[in-house]
Amino acid sequence: MYLVEGTGVSAELKRDAVAMATGSRDWGLSIRTIDHGRIGVSSTSSPEKWEECLGAAVASMSLATPQEWKGLPGPAELRRDAPSFDDRVIPEPQAAQDFLRGMLDGAKGHPGAKITSGSGSLSRSEVTLANSHGVLYTTRRTEVSCSLETISGQSTGSEFAHSPFLEIDPRWVGERAAFFATHSAEGRPMETGQYDILLSPVALAQFLGNIFVPALSGRTVHAGRSRLGTLLGQEIMDRRISLFDDPFARGMGATAWDAEGMPAARLDFVKAGVLASFAYDLKTAYRYGASPTASAVRGGPAGGPSIGVHNLVLDGPREEIASERALYVHDVVGAHTANPVSGDFSVECQNPIWVEDGGFREPVRKAMLSGNLFDAVREIGGIGAGSRIVGNSILPCVRFRSLQVIG
Amino acid sequence: MPSSGIRFFDGRRILAASTHVDIDNGVVESAGTSFSDSALVRVLGPHGWGMVSANSLDISPGKDMDRVLAEGLALARITGDPVTLAEPTRGEHAVPAPGEDPRGLDLEDKTRVLSGIEKAAKLPGIASTRATYIERTEEVFYTDSSGYESRFTITRSGFSVLAVAKRNGMAQMGRESLHTIHGFNLRHQEPMGVKAGETALALLDAGTAKGGRMRAVLDPELAGVFAHEAVGHASEGDLVKEGSSVLAGRIGERIGPAILTIVDDPSLPEFGFEPVDAEGCLTARTEIIRKGMVNAYLHDRETLAALGNGVTGHGRAEAGEPPLVRMSNTFIEAGDRSTEEILAECRDGILLVGSRGGQVDPGRGVFQFNAEYGYLIEKGEKGSMVRDVSLSGEILSTLHGILLCGKERVMHQGFCGKGGQSVPVSDGSPHILLSDAVVGGSGTD
Repeated sequence: MYLVEGTGVSAELKRDAVAMATGSRDWGLSIRTIDHGRIGVSSTSSPEKWEECLGAAVASMSLATPQEWKGLPGPAELRRDAPSFDDRVIPEPQAAQDFLRGMLDGAKGHPGAKITSGSGSLSRSEVTLANSHGVLYTTRRTEVSCSLETISGQSTGSEFAHSPFLEIDPRWVGERAAFFATHSAEGRPMETGQYDILLSPVALAQFLGNIFVPALSGRTVHAGRSRLGTLLGQEIMDRRISLFDDPFARGMGATAWDAEGMPAARLDFVKAGVLASFAYDLKTAYRYGASPTASAVRGGPAGGPSIGVHNLVLDGPREEIASERALYVHDVVGAHTANPVSGDFSVECQNPIWVEDGGFREPVRKAMLSGNLFDAVREIGGIGAGSRIVGNSILPCVRFRSLQVIG
Repeated sequence: MPSSGIRFFDGRRILAASTHVDIDNGVVESAGTSFSDSALVRVLGPHGWGMVSANSLDISPGKDMDRVLAEGLALARITGDPVTLAEPTRGEHAVPAPGEDPRGLDLEDKTRVLSGIEKAAKLPGIASTRATYIERTEEVFYTDSSGYESRFTITRSGFSVLAVAKRNGMAQMGRESLHTIHGFNLRHQEPMGVKAGETALALLDAGTAKGGRMRAVLDPELAGVFAHEAVGHASEGDLVKEGSSVLAGRIGERIGPAILTIVDDPSLPEFGFEPVDAEGCLTARTEIIRKGMVNAYLHDRETLAALGNGVTGHGRAEAGEPPLVRMSNTFIEAGDRSTEEILAECRDGILLVGSRGGQVDPGRGVFQFNAEYGYLIEKGEKGSMVRDVSLSGEILSTLHGILLCGKERVMHQGFCGKGGQSVPVSDGSPHILLSDAVVGGSGTD
């Protein structure tokens, strides 16, 4: 049984006025039943309907194809250093309003940018997992976030920050959103051709999340839908790159136990360019005789566990990557339309800007970026300094070599 | 009621049952039903909105509701935006009766029929198949401070089937889907499984397109996505009001050829149908572009009051979430040309088929979407197949570049995301010809 209870508050800007404030109380229960390798799931948001939910889980179990099942985990000694809670986070309207004020303040440095919308939010939740093998774990989580959208003429700019801790900087978010809108307003057309590309952590997260992470799932691999499926032990990325899931990193997915009650642990997907492992939940591991990797997360149909990542980290030797001329891409439009099987993508760049000598240079009006992600990561131009939290990942800026851009 | 300071309130509660079946390579991965009960109460204070979202919330008059209204008012007090609401147009359309009501079928039946479609996709050379079924019944109750109430129940259901073909380390996929409000739609759909398999196999032999600017013919599915992404989002009243739409301030302006009319119609009994919107307003057809001129925006009560030019009825919301101005069934009206005439007029270019989805930045006026595959057009005839072709462009210049519209409009179903909420929609169009499209492809020659 997986139970989530939470409260949150958010406030939203329309132009530069607060238009809306929302308080929310969430309650959700999901039940999984397993009998002779048949797995059933159901969920409900009504405490009084738990019996109906249990009945639906049992009914669901009877339809599932039976599979090899070696049992749920029992209680284990858990690490206590998964950073997921900050007691300074208190979901009150005033705090959300302060985020909005901070962003408005930060945006003032670029008066050419008009605010179109923005939001600030804080939430607390408590997650409890219990199973018939005696596991009873509870974790408290907090989350804060803010985001701002701006426009200057027909040039848009946006930025956001989120964290489990009261450590986001709304002024920085406001300044960056307004900078991108005003700077890109002077964008000039560029020539179609092959160029080095600097993907921001936000743009990189879009590519990894839509193409690479699904290909690392044990389920995708064994279903024959992963281009990486047969490449274990082989070099699939530039040797400078390591890619791993670290549930104890300071990110949005920090946790000491996964969604099935397995003790969480670091999982190395790619070590110095070499494909080291795929992600497994219990069901997939038992079915294919693989080792479980504590990679279960919640969010699938009916709230059942599915394979995912907690905090996806891309790391490696850091270097100055903007000294030689390249096209910086702040974000991309349409990454979800990429081909997750082949890795081919074609996306429109948001705020493409030439970089050189370590700084931003001339903005570009329009750039469409095409390529294949699995090919592009084989030889990169370097990993930049610093990293930031983007959803369930913690990523740096990465320089890619010679990608096709249509101006 | 703690009425002091409350100008208006409403509440919307949705009880939902969601059923899914997931069959992966012949294995029933999961099949079952889940339940939710979510409500949102909106309170319009002296300035803007205070809202309370909760599960199992009783929104009929009483002490519970009084407490929620007081909570909403307290939240509204931090707002400063002077919100006003247009008068609602009341009334609702009947929900069409389903052909075969999926609620009356047991899950085993649904699983068996879905399994037949999945098996049909498993042609020689196909390495992997997957089929999923989803069904969701919502009982919707709406009430507001004027005493108005509305209730309806609607079931949406459908399926998708995916096939992956592999050869020499190369993998390609074919995908088909069909969703409806008209009842259980899986029977005799094995040909859609076969089609997914055939597409995946054909794509193994397809070349890559050379990207660049060229003439392009969009098939009805992709042209429907074009109407949705390039025009629909930019016509949403909230974006227009915020100043983040290239269509702002252009009512009456010519932005496309006289053959071009683009409509959003939530009253149409397609997948995006709403009998009444999330603010209790009657849903109705809006002609966003009429004969090439910007004619109206999509509105909820708040954006209609602020901007005019349109009707209410376009407020849509997920359970427990605030109404946003949304599209429903969006389409380009049919023109007068046959597909052969359109290909002939294109001469040399590309035919883009199917959709893997799209996205738009309506403020910047730039859109991007991906076709499932395409065909080169050479000397007015359909030539060889190409894979991974996309289309991007600037909304206004692309609309001016529409040269021809075909005779036959076809609708396709999907889900549209905005503000973290996903709602069912349909898009449609006849074939259209674009004069100067930015086509993306990884081929270099």
